[in-house]
Amino acid sequence: MASKATPDNGSWMGSRLPRREDLRLVTGQGKYISDIVLPRMAHAVFVRSDYAHAKIVSIDTSAALALPGVISVTTGADIVDEMRSMPQPVLLPNLPAKYPTFYPLSVDKVKFHGAPVALVIARDKYTAEDAVELVEVEYEELPAVVDPNAALEPGAPLVNEDHPDNEIFSMTFTGGETQAEQDENDKAVEEIFNSADAVIKETFRVHRTGLTPMEPRGVLCDWSESDGLTAWITTQRPHIDRLALVDLLDIPAERVRVIAPRDQGGAFGIKAPFYRENVIIAHMARKLGQPVRWIESRYESLMNVGQERDQINTLEVAATKDGKLLALRNRGVADNGTGETGVYWGFLMPFLGAHEIPNTYTWDKADIKLRVAVTNKACLTPSRAFGHFPTRFAIERGIDIIAHKIGMEPADVRRKNLIPELPYTSVTGGYYDSGDFLKVWDNLMSHVDLANFREEQAKARESGRYIGIGFGTGVELSGMASEVLVPMENQPGYGAASIRLDPRGTVQIFGGDAPGGQGHETSVAQVVASAFGIKPEDTLTTTGDTATTPFGAGTIGARGASYFMSAVHNACVELKNKIVRILAHDLGISAQPDDFEFSNGEVVLRSDSSVKKTFREIVERIIMHPINMPDGEVGGLEATVFFEAAKPMICFNADLCIVDVNIDNGEFKITRWVSSEDVGNVINPLIVDGQMQGAIAQGLSNTMFEEFIYDDQGQQLTADFENYKIATAADLPNIDVTYAPTPCPHTPMGTRGIGEGRPSSVPGALCNAICDALKPFGIEITELPVRPNAIWKKIQEARS
Amino acid sequence: MELVDEIRIKADRDTVFAALNDIDVLQRAIPGCEKLEAISPTEFSGVVVAKVGPMKARFAGSVTLSDVKAPESYTLVGAGKGGVAGFAKMRTLVSLVDEGDSTLMRYEVKADIGGKLAQLGGALITKTSKKLAGVFFSNFEAIVNGENEPSSE
Repeated sequence: MASKATPDNGSWMGSRLPRREDLRLVTGQGKYISDIVLPRMAHAVFVRSDYAHAKIVSIDTSAALALPGVISVTTGADIVDEMRSMPQPVLLPNLPAKYPTFYPLSVDKVKFHGAPVALVIARDKYTAEDAVELVEVEYEELPAVVDPNAALEPGAPLVNEDHPDNEIFSMTFTGGETQAEQDENDKAVEEIFNSADAVIKETFRVHRTGLTPMEPRGVLCDWSESDGLTAWITTQRPHIDRLALVDLLDIPAERVRVIAPRDQGGAFGIKAPFYRENVIIAHMARKLGQPVRWIESRYESLMNVGQERDQINTLEVAATKDGKLLALRNRGVADNGTGETGVYWGFLMPFLGAHEIPNTYTWDKADIKLRVAVTNKACLTPSRAFGHFPTRFAIERGIDIIAHKIGMEPADVRRKNLIPELPYTSVTGGYYDSGDFLKVWDNLMSHVDLANFREEQAKARESGRYIGIGFGTGVELSGMASEVLVPMENQPGYGAASIRLDPRGTVQIFGGDAPGGQGHETSVAQVVASAFGIKPEDTLTTTGDTATTPFGAGTIGARGASYFMSAVHNACVELKNKIVRILAHDLGISAQPDDFEFSNGEVVLRSDSSVKKTFREIVERIIMHPINMPDGEVGGLEATVFFEAAKPMICFNADLCIVDVNIDNGEFKITRWVSSEDVGNVINPLIVDGQMQGAIAQGLSNTMFEEFIYDDQGQQLTADFENYKIATAADLPNIDVTYAPTPCPHTPMGTRGIGEGRPSSVPGALCNAICDALKPFGIEITELPVRPNAIWKKIQEARS
Repeated sequence: MELVDEIRIKADRDTVFAALNDIDVLQRAIPGCEKLEAISPTEFSGVVVAKVGPMKARFAGSVTLSDVKAPESYTLVGAGKGGVAGFAKMRTLVSLVDEGDSTLMRYEVKADIGGKLAQLGGALITKTSKKLAGVFFSNFEAIVNGENEPSSE
């Protein structure tokens, strides 16, 4: 039902094929982690800390253990001798930082409101929940560190006592490797600022917010003495999680199998880290000799994960009077939370954020420094637009503020300074491989008559109506090359796919990544169907099972159409070449791979279309009847291929937003949103549209509504959807997604990975539009979220 | 959370102050109080059941009286743990103004809450605290005036 009989324009590539996974997902047939039930399965519930920072004086588990149905109650003290502590090398980036040592359960003290203190396992979840209430924990409160600047002050209480201070990470991103080089660079930047026509300096604050997948986390572990550990984990990175479990629990590597369920209700980055909960559930399944499952509640989820952004960036921009950008200086401070999350440790997001500040513009010089502080809050976890949501907000606002200062149209300043030609290496060393930024920008501007808008705007102001237009741009990583991923996460970047042709003429695909709703099953089917000239429904894709899929780094950083699909494509090509060799041999002709066309279920000689075989016949012959083979050939049609691009790759986008602001109450309405995208060659436009719509919606929701709030004692006040407001359809504008693509020269199909970083240009575009509308008041928004009361207050201040 | 209010009680100041130090009166007046025991003349421990929004929790805790200036004022410092619901800490300054036949009782409450309770939202917590304080003082008034059984909530 969900698939179309024929492709658009004769090819499945670029066809708006409805997503194959949607039928089961929208009819309740999806199989998520909580649908997996094993015999004798026990249920785990965590006792979590009520305090942000407190010593654990004692834990009395006797009443909980006495409750009928309770199997075990485990505390931090119980496990320190039973497993290795985090971090382990597989979970450590190749970056110097003050990594905290920690266990799955808090030992000696709790470091944030919601930290795991004990684990109750019972025969059913109700009993486990009841027993959690019976665990008596006595705490001795410690002063909570809740402000990142205060955390960095000498003498501040320590969050992680294994280190001398709260600065988990700091870095200078510009000038070179040595202090002397950096000092010289900083001096050169200072000279530019001293002599520039125009300079601006603003401090931009972006609150703690992130992504909240519909399905929270979950872990189900089963232990067998002969086969070891099988762990179902909601994860984007099953192969990485597997290695982490091997190292932490000291299980022989071949005896650990991690399965990311094929259906995961969204991930958006928050399922990329390796979490402490995985370790204790696996440990207890082994210890108890029975399956143990933990399903995260929404409350726990909002307490523990999906918290990102949270940066203060003090940005300075220098420009000439005619709008040429010269230099930028940025001092970032990020609020890391505890740092107790494997692979990312919180600071990896602000790290990339600082690296991405230069964005799509050319700069002569830059001076960019970052400090990251641990605090008594949940550790930052990756959320789509990994770390650069706050820095993009700063730079895109900064461009408008300097444009206001020199009296130029912000759109003109942008076009004047867009990187004109690629490849290009940014001032922070970021490599931009290919694309055409000006083409994307000009496409965006073709959807609006700016001169006409300015006239309308002036007229509207005369009648007391305030409308404004704002722009934002973003360059995003299209997949993560090993060159980027090895230093950053100590993980390989290549894409991996195995293709197995079936004697019945159908195809199985096995991918090492673990999607969370991006539509891989459909996109892969289109790639494979196009390659072999068969129908998309004659393929089936398996992902996420480390026992059956080749090693892959996971579904992260827009790796789908960049790395994974490229591996799929190349595996198909390898098998096609073998088919042609054997077919040519059978036909007694000599032929090159391109001499045959795979289409409509047939393999046809291009020079004589009467010479052909059905795809099924030739595949069956090679797999089932491997006799009379060419010299050196054996039967079978399976291939595992790894794909690594020659260079790190990017995609690019630009947004425009038009708003109508009510100056009497500060309310604003987005009346138009247009995006322009370079997404390379597109496999499925429907899926790409959806990615863009979703990413922009998430960016708007982060900008306007969502906010994790901690009080001055470190109490987290927003652990339900009444207090953590997410945009609904009614809150959002119609989003008009348009394209100006340039094929990527580094992927076999010219495709680019898209969508991951896409929300990052949104806050700048929206706030620029609001400030443009309110230009008569000279209002500059520097803080998110942007809400009517804050705008109203600024209008009042400007008026008085 | 901060709460400031006052109530006029038809009794003289000495009577009101004595009642404020009478563990039996307090136990009867505190809404949901299951147990209240004196550890010393200025230290009590007890158990209170409170319902906040969707959550009903049994708080075990202690109350200490300090800055006792009979019959004008005292400060009441309480801390309670409500198990999985979280914890509450409060500091209440009670002062009595002599108005002859009646006494004006002023109270200023400063409360910190934590754990799951903290997430219920400030509005709900304030509303519940106001209600509980209101019930306490009306119970208290009824007891002091020798009226019958106070309401339980």
